[in-house]
Amino acid sequence: MTSEYALETRNVSKRFGGVVAANNIDLKIEPGELRCIIGPNGAGKSTLFSLLCGIQRADSGEIYIGRHNVTNMQPFKRVRHGIGLTFQTNRAYQELSVKHNLMVPNPSLAVSKEAHQQGEERLMLALEEFGLNLNDDTLASEIPHHTLQWLEISMVLAGFPDLVLIDEPTAGMSRDETDRTAMVLKKLNESGLTIIVVEHDMHFVKSIAKKVTVLHQGRIFIEGNLDEVATNEEVKKIYLGHAH
Amino acid sequence: MTSKILHLIGGDADIGTSKIFWIGFVIAVILFALYPTQVSEFRASNVSYYLLNIPLALGMALLWGYCGVLSFGHVAYFGIAGYTYGIIAGNMAGNSLGSLAGVLGGLLVSAVVAGIFAYFVFYSRVREWIIPILTLVLTLLLETFLGQTAGYQWRVGSILLGGYNGMTGIPSFQIGSFVFMGNSFYYFCMVIVLACYVGLRMLLNSKFGQVVTAIREDPLRTEVFGYDIRARKWLVFVLSALLAAISGLLYVQWGNYITPSQVGLLSAALPVIWAAVGGRTSLLAVLIATIVLNWVTFTLSSQGNQYAMVIIGAALVITMLFFPRGIVIMIAEWIGKLTNRKNTTVIR
Repeated sequence: MTSEYALETRNVSKRFGGVVAANNIDLKIEPGELRCIIGPNGAGKSTLFSLLCGIQRADSGEIYIGRHNVTNMQPFKRVRHGIGLTFQTNRAYQELSVKHNLMVPNPSLAVSKEAHQQGEERLMLALEEFGLNLNDDTLASEIPHHTLQWLEISMVLAGFPDLVLIDEPTAGMSRDETDRTAMVLKKLNESGLTIIVVEHDMHFVKSIAKKVTVLHQGRIFIEGNLDEVATNEEVKKIYLGHAH
Repeated sequence: MTSKILHLIGGDADIGTSKIFWIGFVIAVILFALYPTQVSEFRASNVSYYLLNIPLALGMALLWGYCGVLSFGHVAYFGIAGYTYGIIAGNMAGNSLGSLAGVLGGLLVSAVVAGIFAYFVFYSRVREWIIPILTLVLTLLLETFLGQTAGYQWRVGSILLGGYNGMTGIPSFQIGSFVFMGNSFYYFCMVIVLACYVGLRMLLNSKFGQVVTAIREDPLRTEVFGYDIRARKWLVFVLSALLAAISGLLYVQWGNYITPSQVGLLSAALPVIWAAVGGRTSLLAVLIATIVLNWVTFTLSSQGNQYAMVIIGAALVITMLFFPRGIVIMIAEWIGKLTNRKNTTVIR
């Protein structure tokens, strides 16, 4: 069986002891989509990402990237089908230069010649918008936090993926920096890149998302347009809490 | 093409990227080349000993400093290569191709043992901190095994393994009828050391080397960029074992004997100390530390001084307390700041 989606999960479940981190998740992402995944702390958002990348294995269910069933693949093999991931806590190489950081990802992973060309354009776009330089000798540990977040996104783009998973990109960013991140992600999406973002910041979600998936206790609670989701009383209860 | 090679050699994977550095480098090479013409053959032979340890030390820098994997037992491959050479070249004594066959055999056996060992270590994804212990256990097992090989039954062809007394009468290296001894062996070592250093610098400045360094910094991040880090670590381990094997081969060709203590605990600790004291994240720093520390131990112990190893141990403690990134690296950075130019790249 194959899938026509950029990414598809079928009945994916993962349990840690008594905690169900992923409960029968059916996620379908169209090629070229920009999807936001939201949900309260512990909803299983980051677990879902590590299941998609193979850092953790699902207990049951199937995962497809493009036409490929990657359910039993190691992380490095999944990446070769055009997927890229930034981590929830920034994992740019602190002790290496910006230049070295951007050299590590493997552009020869691009699945086709067009993907290579397109990947290069996307990388250049991101570097320009983020104000990063391919020949910068500064150590990553010496640049500000928000630039590090941008660096990790650029690093993922340097592997020329078709699909990127971005985990809380705007954590710790000012409003201006958040807006800039949103603007770049939108531009990248317009170039045809499929993007899935996990985010807490509703301002950010509102500024980029068309379709939103709400996770709650490891399940997909509701999925739909931002307006539908934002006005849903149950979502307000679980996600925003009673105070709002 | 030429500029690409020069770029690979001169890249910032190691300290020393400025013009002044390279002028100094060439002068140092010339001084080393002139040294045997100014001193007795005996003294040159001592320096040969310092030089022949360098490939082993560079292997430690590659594996530990650049890839982040600490092996406490790389002398095992030193010993395996030395013994294998002794067996093959000894049995083929009189045949001018014997020592060449011994060299190839030594490299091959070391690489195979390292390859099998590293396969189990890296493909089962054992935890990082266990690796030094596993590697140390391997070399201590080897020492114990070799130590009980006294007696006539431990004989391969006409060569006795010799138990704790070791293997003696190992032939020197020869090509055709030319035997490398004294000064010619000194130059032989020098050429090999230079080739190892320049070759490793090129490797570490290449894409391969950049990924190896990234694995040291964050294995998971690097794997999620699409690299099979098990395969990379395996390859780096085998390469560094081959470098240890080169030192082992040169050692037996230099002294014409080898004993099990060469793969024992004290010998196992030395390359780790050379790398730590110099600064494991720089090939050149480790190279310099290897020469200096070997000179100190050799000079002290040949004067009958009992404290050589105590002094080496003290050097390690001082390094760990005051120069955690290595004495040579920190001096190089200090010089870089003093000349107030970007001569030295900060390497951590």
